[in-house]
Amino acid sequence: MEIPHFPIGEWARELADRVVEPTVADRDRERRWNPRLFAELAEARPGPSLTGPLVPRDLGGAGLSATQTVALLAGLGEGARDPGLALAVGVHAVLATVPLRAFGSPWQRERYLPRMASGEWVGALSLQQTQGASMAPAVTARPAADGSGGWVLTGELDLVAGAPVAHHFLVVAAHDDGGRTAFVVDRATPRLRVGEAGPAAMPTCPWGRLVLGGCAVPDTAVLGTVAGAATEVEPLLAVLDWVFSSAPWLGLIRALTRDAIEGARERRLFGRPLHHDQSVRFTLADLAARCELAEGMLHRAAQQFDSGHRPSHQDAAAARLFVAAAVRTVTDAAARLSGPLGLTGDRLVGRAHRDGLFFAGTGGGTEVLRPVIAASLLELG
Amino acid sequence: MTSTTSAYDPAGTTSAYGSAGTTSPYNMTDTGSTYGMTGVASGTRAAPAFPGIAARAAQTDATGRIPAQNWKELADSGYLRLFHPPEIGGTGADGLTQADAMEALARACPGTYWAATVSALLCGKLISTYGDLRSHEPLLRSLLSGERLAAFAVVERTAGSDAGTYRTTVRRAGAPGGGFVINGEKSRITNAPIADVAVVLARRERLPGDDGPDWCLAFVDLHQPGIERYEIAHMGLRGMPWGGIVFTDAHIAEADVVPVPFGELAEGMAWGWLKNSLAAIAVAESALSASVRHARERVSFGRPLAHMEGVQAQLAESRAQIDAARLLARRAMCERVAGRSARDLIAMLKIYATEMGVEVAARAVQIHGATGVTQGHEVERLYRDAQMNVIGGFTSNRLREQVAESLGLGPAVYSAFDWVTPAGLGQDPAGLDGLPYAEEAVS
Ligand SMILES: Cc1cc2nc3c(=O)[nH]c(=O)nc-3n(C[C@H](O)[C@H](O)[C@H](O)COP(=O)(O)OP(=O)(O)OC[C@H]3O[C@@H](n4cnc5c(N)ncnc54)[C@H](O)[C@@H]3O)c2cc1C
Repeated sequence: MEIPHFPIGEWARELADRVVEPTVADRDRERRWNPRLFAELAEARPGPSLTGPLVPRDLGGAGLSATQTVALLAGLGEGARDPGLALAVGVHAVLATVPLRAFGSPWQRERYLPRMASGEWVGALSLQQTQGASMAPAVTARPAADGSGGWVLTGELDLVAGAPVAHHFLVVAAHDDGGRTAFVVDRATPRLRVGEAGPAAMPTCPWGRLVLGGCAVPDTAVLGTVAGAATEVEPLLAVLDWVFSSAPWLGLIRALTRDAIEGARERRLFGRPLHHDQSVRFTLADLAARCELAEGMLHRAAQQFDSGHRPSHQDAAAARLFVAAAVRTVTDAAARLSGPLGLTGDRLVGRAHRDGLFFAGTGGGTEVLRPVIAASLLELG
Repeated sequence: MTSTTSAYDPAGTTSAYGSAGTTSPYNMTDTGSTYGMTGVASGTRAAPAFPGIAARAAQTDATGRIPAQNWKELADSGYLRLFHPPEIGGTGADGLTQADAMEALARACPGTYWAATVSALLCGKLISTYGDLRSHEPLLRSLLSGERLAAFAVVERTAGSDAGTYRTTVRRAGAPGGGFVINGEKSRITNAPIADVAVVLARRERLPGDDGPDWCLAFVDLHQPGIERYEIAHMGLRGMPWGGIVFTDAHIAEADVVPVPFGELAEGMAWGWLKNSLAAIAVAESALSASVRHARERVSFGRPLAHMEGVQAQLAESRAQIDAARLLARRAMCERVAGRSARDLIAMLKIYATEMGVEVAARAVQIHGATGVTQGHEVERLYRDAQMNVIGGFTSNRLREQVAESLGLGPAVYSAFDWVTPAGLGQDPAGLDGLPYAEEAVS
């Protein structure tokens, strides 16, 4: 069957297959980030760069639509077969970029966006901070003591994707009165430290812990309105994570499904090819269906960004809930069909099984996504 | 009525189901996207657009009869015309409009939806695709106006999925008038008890020198000697007429037998899979709506169920699953309306959507507690209806075989189940002390 692709996704798939995929097993084993790969993805021509798809053209970006960006990231996931690297690219190019585009002052937009689009500056943030304040605030912001303006940020954030290579961080900090403000904090800020720490999953993403030991930042570091994060950056960041961090997985489950089909043709059991087994055939048919269904959910959520209206947070959460479940279904089945020998880190199915579980826990996991969806349904919450 | 032209000439039509309206109430704008969901959706979708039919849904189920008023409202609404171009009396709605209208009617009353959609959409497409407009335009127009009702008769008593066993046969009449006669029995057919005409899949008797296909579609007038019918009581979709037709030398005009290669069957059936999928989505949406309502009203442990995370989780899962199915249905419908086959996409949709419908309906029954298993309650009815969508028009597993083949896994391979014992896994093992020698020696 022809698996349909958007042309832009096809372009990214071929690029990633050529540039990223050949070294994925080694980088995974060695937990290594290769800046040259990132640069190649940024500079690849002809075509949009993978580092600035959503940066407007006049600021040096590709000026793609949200739908095209989902296709681009899905292509990256499918071609690279590298969930960690795809996550790092998505965090930089979407999660750290779009809040600046949407809420940045002219100065902030002109300072950060062109250099982020070119890949010169990497933006990072903590995956703990993409679900609003559903987790207890880990960073506090107090007005600078001398009354000269500016803020002092204190706290620690884990799961910071891109931390070791970042030029700046998007941080949401809580005030003593409970209000929250978003900041863009440059790495060069005194008393800012990046510690070594990361999850066992997605080792090809550069992970770190961000330690803010009373960092003084100027007022120009505030992103959006002071105490406005709860209605500005936080809801946007949540929806961006739900939709765009899921996009590489659309490509990954397509790749896994294709691998599983090939595997079933090669393996033999009871003296017969595995693909003669009806339960195997049925499973593969269901996996192919999951890919189509997941694509529809992501496409709708992305399209809402392009519609000129406010994107529905319920639809974005539903998309993440569905894609995360599809990832579990596909990775489980693909792992089962590949047999116990297939689960090494040298094979996508082994990596995806480990990373898919991690993915399902991010974006808040089911314990955040379900109440978010239910709140809309029930008009409560 | 001569035997060389179609039996469905305009002069012969009588109105059994009221007259047809001329405009469609579904003038929703096309968003230009196959997903067509650019707007912000919140809460469950809008209320049914067929209020009268919806208000009678419980009664339709309880009596097992579609009220005459439903047929009239259907014809007046323009629903039956949506699926076809103006040349044959249709209104040529776009894919999303068709999908929305189907879902709206299925939300109002799944039984009525099935009966109407089998006739206007499925049979209409079969006749317009395989028939000849010159002879069959009057027949098509009568289906679209609601004057006539059609059934699509494929399955027989002995077999459903396994088409190789179908026996109903069309052969030359040989009598002075010419034409054909049909013999056999079709069973478990939607609309069979009341339909005016049946599109019948039958074997073709081939005379020497005829190297056409083995199969044909025959458009059979059901108001003639040689036709007997019976009803079959059924679990869900009770309002939908369902039963069998026995053909004993029933007559068919020359123009009403269309030879078709067997492979074409799935192509035509795909319209039916879309019909089942939208029915499943609508049943699920109704079940979710009822669940949301109940969760907000029912107080347990001092608070409405809506405040319990366990209930919220069930509602959220249903919401995501229904959305996924609907988005795929809309995409598939647009593909199909644009003239592409999308057969495998629709097969995947049918599998997922219909099984999802059962899951969501079962959750709804759980959320309703004993209320949900009380006869006559809406979710009890939906629960029974949901299961019907899975089986009708190719079962899930039959479709999984089709999808698997399209994925490059080759055709289904059936072999006798005899490989476990030779592999040494078909017997209980020896115990810790090996095989008991004494027993072995005795035997
Ligand atoms: C609501 C409803 C409406 C219907 N309307 C019509 C109609 O309008 N016209 C019409 O012709 N028919 C109609 N039918 C009949 C329907 O098409 C058949 O019931 C269906 O095709 C399955 O056939 P069966 O019931 O004989 O089941 P079987 O074919 O006997 O199947 C029984 C079980 O075995 C499984 N199975 C069968 N073959 C395979 C295989 N190769 N591999 C794995 N598993 C397999 C099936 O999935 C199923 O679970 C309708 C049925 C329903 C429920």
